[in-house]
Amino acid sequence: MSAGPYNYSYIFKYIIIGDMGVGKSCLLHQFTEKKFMSDCPHTIGVEFGTRIIEVAGQKIKLQIWDTAGQERFRAVTRSYYRGAAGALMVYDITRRSTYNHLSSWLTDTRNLTNPSTVIFLIGNKCDLEGQRDVTYEEAKQFADENGLMFVEASAKTGQNVEEAFLETARKIYQSIQDGRLDLNAAESGVQHKPSQPGRNTLSNDQQFNKDNCAC
Amino acid sequence: MDDVLTETVPAEELKKFEKAYHEQLYKQDVTPKAQFEYAWCLVRSKYPADIKKGIFLLQELFRTHEEGQRDYLYYLAIGNARIKQYTEALKYVRSFLNIEPGNSQVIALETTIKAKMDKEGLMGMAVAGGVVLAIGAAVGLGISILNKKS
Ligand SMILES: Nc1nc2c(ncn2[C@@H]2O[C@H](COP(=O)(O)OP(=O)(O)O)[C@@H](O)[C@H]2O)c(=O)[nH]1
Ligand SMILES: [Mg+2]
Repeated sequence: MSAGPYNYSYIFKYIIIGDMGVGKSCLLHQFTEKKFMSDCPHTIGVEFGTRIIEVAGQKIKLQIWDTAGQERFRAVTRSYYRGAAGALMVYDITRRSTYNHLSSWLTDTRNLTNPSTVIFLIGNKCDLEGQRDVTYEEAKQFADENGLMFVEASAKTGQNVEEAFLETARKIYQSIQDGRLDLNAAESGVQHKPSQPGRNTLSNDQQFNKDNCAC
Repeated sequence: MDDVLTETVPAEELKKFEKAYHEQLYKQDVTPKAQFEYAWCLVRSKYPADIKKGIFLLQELFRTHEEGQRDYLYYLAIGNARIKQYTEALKYVRSFLNIEPGNSQVIALETTIKAKMDKEGLMGMAVAGGVVLAIGAAVGLGISILNKKS
């Protein structure tokens, strides 16, 4: 059962999408560091986070791409959707406009990911009950109609944050078990037992002209 | 699919933004948006020549378009780190953190760059470079003090 130098046997790629300010980056930080960043700066382009979890006794490394919701980044952030095994689609329960934009986020996601991509809808900021602008029921109905998993969460208190990330992973893992997700497909967003760390991505130039001055 | 320094842009995406940029270039009316989108894709290419071109376009934007400077600094750091110009990359990280200390995304990038240097056994050089960096930061951006020193 050795995975070489790795202490996990799968990698799942996630993306987090949704309007600016709904709390995507705070959800990421709550999940990866278990803390709430009250004055999180606006994300530049795409932020990256990672955490190793366990599903059915298997260690899984989540690679999470948190996208900036701002319009000027939107065109290029789409290039990160490809090959996502999981997509967390976030709105803010205190801002109706962020809920109204969900169908456009969903269309993008469906167009740019695989049929097997698990989409999880998160109604964030549920700690702000007094300012609620979107009911649980209507969001639940939207989720059901579109075949999404759904939960209300709070990046501030941590409520349901773990659940959303872990539930998504369980669903992906299940798809692998059922054979619905083809591990060999180039863009499944899942890697099984990564091979030895052979560096085959970039870096073929430069490598060799570094050490030959020796004076 | 790895991290900000190793993930690569899909070839069709790069082509798409390249085309848009070139169309504007042909009309001699390049918007900062088109140039940034193209440059952002270029610095995520697997080819160092593309990355260098992306860095060039970002430097040009940095000089001419004040509004997006924060974004340009961030991707200048990434581009340089991806072609192993770590000292240069860390210089951009420093400049960013001088303007916006404590930015977690940029601090995370700094950590990623240093971890990569560490892995490649370049950390000693970074420490030596750190002293120079501090001076460089005081003098400001775009200064080749680092090159002279080494
Ligand atoms: N009360 C409350 N505020 C939150 C929550 N999540 C994020 N915020 C705040 O909402 C703002 C935007 O969060 P951020 O994560 O940067 O949003 P992003 O643009 O979607 O990444 C920040 O000021 C956060 O402090 C939450 O669950 N509850
Ligand atoms: Mg953000």
